[in-house]
Amino acid sequence: MKLSLIKMTAFCFAAALVGSQCAVAQQQPGLTPTTIRIGSFGALTGPGYLYGKLAMNGIDVVFDEVNAAGGINGRKLELVREDDRCDPAGAIGAVQKLIYQEQVFALIGGGCSNATFAARETIEKAEIPFLVVASVHDGITTPPARTIFSTALTSTIESKAQIQYAITSGAKKIAVVSMRDSWGRARYTPLMEELKSKGITLVADEEMSPDANDATAQVLRLKQADADAVIMVLFPKPAAVFARDSQKLGFKPLLIGQTGIGDPAAFEDQVGVPGATAKFRTISMVKYTPADPEMEKWRKLVEAKFPGDRLSVFNLFGIGSAQVLVEALKRAGPDLTREKLVSELANIHDLSVDVFGAPITCTATDHRCNKSPAWLAKDPTGPVKVLSVTRVD
Amino acid sequence: MLLFSYLLLSGITTGALYALVAIGLVVVNKSTGIINFAQGELFMFCGFVAWMVHVQFGQAYPFAFIAAIAGGFLLGVVTDRVAFRSLAKTDIVGLVLATVGLAFVLRGSARMIWGGKGDYLSFPPITSPEPVMIGTIMVVPQQMAALAGAVAIMLVFAAFFRFTRAGKIMRATADNSKAATLVGISIQNVYTLAFGTGAAIAGAAGVLAAPLTLLYPDMGFAFFIKGFAAAVLGGLTSLSGAIVGGLLVGVVEAMAGGYIHSSMMEVAPFLLIMLVLIVCPTGILSLYKARDV
Repeated sequence: MKLSLIKMTAFCFAAALVGSQCAVAQQQPGLTPTTIRIGSFGALTGPGYLYGKLAMNGIDVVFDEVNAAGGINGRKLELVREDDRCDPAGAIGAVQKLIYQEQVFALIGGGCSNATFAARETIEKAEIPFLVVASVHDGITTPPARTIFSTALTSTIESKAQIQYAITSGAKKIAVVSMRDSWGRARYTPLMEELKSKGITLVADEEMSPDANDATAQVLRLKQADADAVIMVLFPKPAAVFARDSQKLGFKPLLIGQTGIGDPAAFEDQVGVPGATAKFRTISMVKYTPADPEMEKWRKLVEAKFPGDRLSVFNLFGIGSAQVLVEALKRAGPDLTREKLVSELANIHDLSVDVFGAPITCTATDHRCNKSPAWLAKDPTGPVKVLSVTRVD
Repeated sequence: MLLFSYLLLSGITTGALYALVAIGLVVVNKSTGIINFAQGELFMFCGFVAWMVHVQFGQAYPFAFIAAIAGGFLLGVVTDRVAFRSLAKTDIVGLVLATVGLAFVLRGSARMIWGGKGDYLSFPPITSPEPVMIGTIMVVPQQMAALAGAVAIMLVFAAFFRFTRAGKIMRATADNSKAATLVGISIQNVYTLAFGTGAAIAGAAGVLAAPLTLLYPDMGFAFFIKGFAAAVLGGLTSLSGAIVGGLLVGVVEAMAGGYIHSSMMEVAPFLLIMLVLIVCPTGILSLYKARDV
């Protein structure tokens, strides 16, 4: 009788425990005893698809790998994708759909900066954990939103890295050529602040429109100023026009790009003039190129899951980000809640994942978790190479 | 002096391309009384056609040049038959809106056929990309080739309007459409010819501009707005005015960028237009004509 009482108590306790777990799971949107629904938004169509669809493909293969190994604390990961078309209104709509209609547990994604920035308020209000994959707008993570973390570099980090690179390359006369639309201003302003704080005076500060078809005037002014390094705050199209016209007019400074022109091989094709990109250096969020043997495992997984695709650097953004999210989910334990996930994300310290330039560290006050841009270059006849990694404080 | 010569050559080259876009607008406007808001997209579309022929099919540049002009003419004729002719009996607003619609259709089609990968397509240089020094002046062969091509196209179309029967019919209709009808000229056919010719000129501009810039589906609007400015500067109905307007816009843009600041490049031509329209509202050549009278 005594034994059966103990058994009964144990049974009740176990039932209560399971019941409470089920209750937690039921209270938390996107969570069941066997699954965790994760939402992702970004451009699935249009020119921004590189930062959206391809990054999501990277996330997908990480989730597949985790699921094949049994999931996280017994739960399989499900990825729900929404197209924001790289458009601020589209991003708000996509996030609302993921949170309120698809009832996802957390978000990972964000490709185009302005679109993701526009969605920040909706995400903050919903208090849903969100890990940014590729958007670099400072306003997404500064001032920090309690539930938003980023493994992408930010505009300020990239601007600081561009200046550091120019200085360490021995440049004495630094110039800037920039777009002054909202994307350009988000980079130009911190760039100017950093230059001022370092006491650097530019020899020239020129402007180009995103639609520019000719950069003769800009190139001639920079040439006249005898600039030996040009920091380019430009989209690939005006940057290619600038590089073409520089070559055309015999102006060959060090050209310093940023993640907006993150693929030196594609940029070389777009410029289309032999030798014009020989002194072009640019920033990557990740320290490997798709051709690197270290990425062989991911190449096989991506190309197997998405036949016809070739591993790209944008897949790697998604892979790195997804690995950070997976680790935080694991650490949050079986009694998973959004609060626990946010807490674990804020406590990630020196986490090494497969792709980033340095270990990832987030804190409660600084949610910019990746501060180590890698520098890429491509010789006219050779492959893309990683030159170095800059640690930005 | 050196800076001035670089900027002048660059401004004239870009201006010549604006002038071609403006001529296309003027040809259609003179004959039909409407502004073709799809002129920039026709320019873009023909640039892509030339890229396809030259890069994808590996044909020589002159062949791509001819294909783009012929393609442009055909496109102009087809759109007139399909889109504009059925609207001929509606008011002019309907026709103008149809050209806006055509612009979107062409942009979307280009994105479907050649875009969608986020890439800007590069058209290989048609001459050596390296500059050549003539004395102390640096000449860029690529720009010279585009300029020579633009001048040749202008001369060909000037000859077309002056010496050919079709050109004379178009001019007659533009001068007085009722009188043209009375002497047996088919206005509908003139409209078709005008849209075809306007699109062919846009095609010529597109294929000349392609090696100087990059091709992408949204590129048409920037050229349209500058070409439109040039046409307005020239008075909207004057072919020679369109040429002067185009060159002026190009040169002012380059000089403002070179001598004031690059931020002035986009603004300066429009400040000039405002000034010109205040002084001579019917176009820059009206000053010359007024003196002539």
